[in-house]
Amino acid sequence: MVDLATQDEVSPPRNRGGRTLLYHVVLCLASIAMLYPLLWMLASSFKPDSDIFGDASLLPRHFSLAAYWRGWSGLQVTFGQFFLNSLVVSLCSVVGNVMSCSLAAYAFARLKFRGQKFWFALMLGTLMLPYHVTLIPQYILFLNLDWVDTFLPLIVPKFLAVDAFFIFLLVQFFRSIPRELDEAAMIDGCGPWRIYWIVILPLSIPALATAAIFTFIWTWDDFFGPLIYLNDMNSYTVQLGLRSFVDSTGKSDWGALFAMSTLTLLPLFVFFLFFQRLLIDGIATTGLKG
Amino acid sequence: MPAARAPETSWRDSATGYLFLAPWLIGFFGLTLGPALVSLYLSFTDYDLLSNPRWVGAANYVRIATSDPKFSAAMHVTFLYVALSVPFKLAFALLVAMMLNRGLRGLPLYRAIFYLPSLIGASVAVSVLWRQVFAGDGLLNQALKLVGIHGPSWISNPDTALYTLVALAVWQFGSPMIIFLAGLRQIPKDVYEAAEIDGASRNQQFWRITLPLLTPVLFFNLVVQTIDAFKAFTPAFIISGGTGGPIDATLFYTLYLYQEAFAYFRMGYASALAWVLVVIIAAFTALSFLSSRYWVHYDG
Repeated sequence: MVDLATQDEVSPPRNRGGRTLLYHVVLCLASIAMLYPLLWMLASSFKPDSDIFGDASLLPRHFSLAAYWRGWSGLQVTFGQFFLNSLVVSLCSVVGNVMSCSLAAYAFARLKFRGQKFWFALMLGTLMLPYHVTLIPQYILFLNLDWVDTFLPLIVPKFLAVDAFFIFLLVQFFRSIPRELDEAAMIDGCGPWRIYWIVILPLSIPALATAAIFTFIWTWDDFFGPLIYLNDMNSYTVQLGLRSFVDSTGKSDWGALFAMSTLTLLPLFVFFLFFQRLLIDGIATTGLKG
Repeated sequence: MPAARAPETSWRDSATGYLFLAPWLIGFFGLTLGPALVSLYLSFTDYDLLSNPRWVGAANYVRIATSDPKFSAAMHVTFLYVALSVPFKLAFALLVAMMLNRGLRGLPLYRAIFYLPSLIGASVAVSVLWRQVFAGDGLLNQALKLVGIHGPSWISNPDTALYTLVALAVWQFGSPMIIFLAGLRQIPKDVYEAAEIDGASRNQQFWRITLPLLTPVLFFNLVVQTIDAFKAFTPAFIISGGTGGPIDATLFYTLYLYQEAFAYFRMGYASALAWVLVVIIAAFTALSFLSSRYWVHYDG
């Protein structure tokens, strides 16, 4: 009897096994098709230029790093400078976003003050507002402040919690932390600032990490902001550097173009490898656009 | 009771609340609300950054509505892009999510692979790659050559350029897929068991159970992806070299707006374009919400 019961569970109806196999085949083919362009780019970056055309294979016949050397210093400013710039902008943005958004989220999730609901509704409203309507006046503002060609237009808004999405994400998370913890801390004589600092923030590491990683990735990938505000090549981010590289080499040096493209994606791959779980959970639970 | 308790929100509490909120409030007034109002004003002016804005009434809007062929081209391209990329992207996302939801072994690996393009899709590098995949001597045509087809240069052909961008969007179906997958997990297994006992076919199960129970998630994905598609910029910019060409075939709305503002410095006209975009997105969102009463089931 026991045997029968377990067998019933283990071996599904006959057509189900076939279907599962079919799904595996379909999904494997789809995976290969989706990854092929990326792998081709990676492989091509190691091929000598003559091998890229007419060769869709993923294994370079002659392995060469020459494309990386050519690409790295293919413009008047090296990619090293672009990477440094991107790193500065992205890290500052992460600090700014996590700080300002967690402060606002704490106010919305945990404090009580007059007008709270009103401001919360307004904050949600800004989620729907396309940035294009604020773009031009912001540009005029930063132009008059003499901030064009500095990183300030890219960083300062992050310190002012302009990415309301992260406020929303953190509000949701803060609300899930039991209030008893706040009350216990209050009895121990903690004010709101200490509760924020020693209770809420430490318990919210996963949410803060999600916000930090997405901020990093989005800032790293941002093309529009740098395109508008950075004109001097010395202050270019990697995305702008890559775009200039496309314009200057055009079709002539695919190898170097692929090599630099691969390099600019590298930090994203690292995040993907190490924080995949966190990223996927972040999307699944909050609908982050990823 | 009420007399014994301190009022819920004393001025002290309020002051603390507003202190925590201060960075956001400064950002809201200084970088969101203020600029939005200024841009509304600018949309009724002629402004080139050098001389003062000159009030022109509704002239910008009139020109947009009646005599701007570039605007019509951009609208055409953008709506076609939205109408093609969003349904295909969501269909793929749902299809793959349903396959993955059957408890397949290797789910985390598949999920990771399908998600990767979404994660990196916004980078310039991916747009660069896409340009090379669909170039005349690119990856796609190399593959087609193996089966004896000589493909055109998909990027420089005005008839096909937009479709390469649609393909790029569909390629990034990973993040709505993850949201679908989370939604599918919420559907209790016993609903299907009951349906099977009642003799419902797979087809019926999909149309009568899965899809209706998934409509809130579908609705969410639809709204988010559509708004995103309206705002797409980088791929069109990189693939067309900033022109929106060939012959305006990839002139996304945002690309046109960018050109007006930052190539020709017609800030007034670009502001009007921005507000028209807001109205389009708002109208679409409102329409979705209004129609959701008829097709989104919230009571599980």
